[in-house]
Amino acid sequence: MSGERSTARQALSNAGRQLPAGRSLGLAVGALFWCWLVVRWVAIWLGSKEPFFPATFFEGLATGFRNDGLVMQQTGGALAPVLDFVAGVWFLFSDLAGFVAFGVEYLPELAEGAWLTVVLTVTGILFGLVIAVPLSVARVYGGPVTRGLSLGYIELLRGTPLLAQLFVLYFGLNLSQYFRGFTFGVLPSAAVWVAIVGFTVNSAAYQAEYIRAALESVESGQLTAARAIGLSRTEGIRHVVLPQGLRYAIPGWTNELIYLIKYSSLAAFITVVELFESGRIIASDTFAYLNIYGMLALFYLALVLSATLFMGWVENRVAIPGLGVRDGR
Amino acid sequence: MSERTDGRGDVSEPSSTAEDGRSAGDPLLRVENLQKSYGDETVLRGIDFDLDRRDVEVIIGPSGSGKSTMLRCVNRLTEFQGGTISLDGESVMAMNENELRRRVGMVFQDINLFAHLTALENVTLGLRKVLDMSKGDAEDKAMSQLERVGLAPQAASYPAELSGGQKQRVGIARALAMDPELLLFDEPTSALDPELVGEVLEVMRDLADGGMTMLVVTHEMGFARRAASSLMFLDEGKIVERGPPEQLFDSPERDRTREFLARLTTISEEA
Repeated sequence: MSGERSTARQALSNAGRQLPAGRSLGLAVGALFWCWLVVRWVAIWLGSKEPFFPATFFEGLATGFRNDGLVMQQTGGALAPVLDFVAGVWFLFSDLAGFVAFGVEYLPELAEGAWLTVVLTVTGILFGLVIAVPLSVARVYGGPVTRGLSLGYIELLRGTPLLAQLFVLYFGLNLSQYFRGFTFGVLPSAAVWVAIVGFTVNSAAYQAEYIRAALESVESGQLTAARAIGLSRTEGIRHVVLPQGLRYAIPGWTNELIYLIKYSSLAAFITVVELFESGRIIASDTFAYLNIYGMLALFYLALVLSATLFMGWVENRVAIPGLGVRDGR
Repeated sequence: MSERTDGRGDVSEPSSTAEDGRSAGDPLLRVENLQKSYGDETVLRGIDFDLDRRDVEVIIGPSGSGKSTMLRCVNRLTEFQGGTISLDGESVMAMNENELRRRVGMVFQDINLFAHLTALENVTLGLRKVLDMSKGDAEDKAMSQLERVGLAPQAASYPAELSGGQKQRVGIARALAMDPELLLFDEPTSALDPELVGEVLEVMRDLADGGMTMLVVTHEMGFARRAASSLMFLDEGKIVERGPPEQLFDSPERDRTREFLARLTTISEEA
């Protein structure tokens, strides 16, 4: 049995070896992105929002391509159709250089927004997990009362819009008044705290459902066996069911993490200038909508792909032979 | 029932002796008028029997006769409605259920190894978390239990990497590690491929020879004949007949017993 598996694994890793260039390139780009982002964050905390690379270089490039293209367009003669075509390519280069110049100029502001997106996502998912585990255990193993309470919480939070929840916390309960004293450099406003609370309680409900499904896929006989050697039910859940259930939950949980990266943009509605809001502000200042939303799309894509890669690594790291979906198919 | 009549070397040894610190008549397990129902469905209708130390009781009976339920009543994995079960003279209902289960080990038909733990960790979990042993002591003890079932070389393997027979031997080691006074076997070989049954039965025979008190639900008649001190035929929640294996095999008092054993023997001889 294990022989079969190791040949399968071998075949998989051979398949992976056939496209090493693509994988290394992706990793290299990712590493570059995160190095830049972290250095950028440090620079922002130290008070510098100047681009690392002068935008004027790309602006010059854009103007140069554009002027050359114009000249080519105006040249007549036998070669005119060819020159027209080349001019078109030159204009494309000019637009690209213009996009890069735009990017270089505004990336520092986007990076600042991305910091809050990352903070909201990471704290939301982790604090949410802390609440989700007892919720899901209560849902699967609880008595009628705890089961009902857990179900009530989950359905209330999943059944109402996240935006409405944020409004209730921010405007209705005026939660930010409690967090006024906790604002400092990396967490610029009390509203960020309110958003963290909002994402935590909301994400907990979704995570609880992912984990519930995972807990239910652990054979009940194992808990019986745990009790049969003298462990209490709670100890059995803690030492036998949860270590397996949480592993099963990783793919679903990754899904929730990816959702949260994008949902965190709702924090903009309660005045948190996260990634999307920082882009929207630039767009309304510059009217360069295509450029800025293109940049935002790339930014979110980079964050989501990083999260996927990271969780894939975690899943491999904690994998156990015969447990979960990685083996045997 | 206290004498072994199975033709093994230790036949002359009475199963319960003064060296146990108890009177000779005091059984390890006493079941009196045990009754159990799931809702309207009555599963056990008054079971009475004693099991002495070092005795091996084999329980047979058709599917749905209440064999597994009875085992689960003994370590209170399921609650019963009537009668009493006493372990070493003390009612199991009066005991802390976790303490009771530490003293009464159980081996399952579907084995139920902890899938995320290695063979060794499967055995150490109870030692560490129930008996609060240190990691080193627990591992030493677990290793010796794995040696006992012949699986020391597989200590680092995960359940998915073991054969069915190996898994069940780990299951036995896991139960043994807690130093139980009584071991319950719930059809330990029923889920195994035929060629893997032997290695598990061999371990069980060794345990029986070593004086372990065992309550075994199985239809392995070879094992019953060789290792059981007593055989119990259960049907529709009642003991139909109970006695030394030879007596039930060769001259059963009831026709139902004869029919059932005839069918079993045919099946196991064909296999």
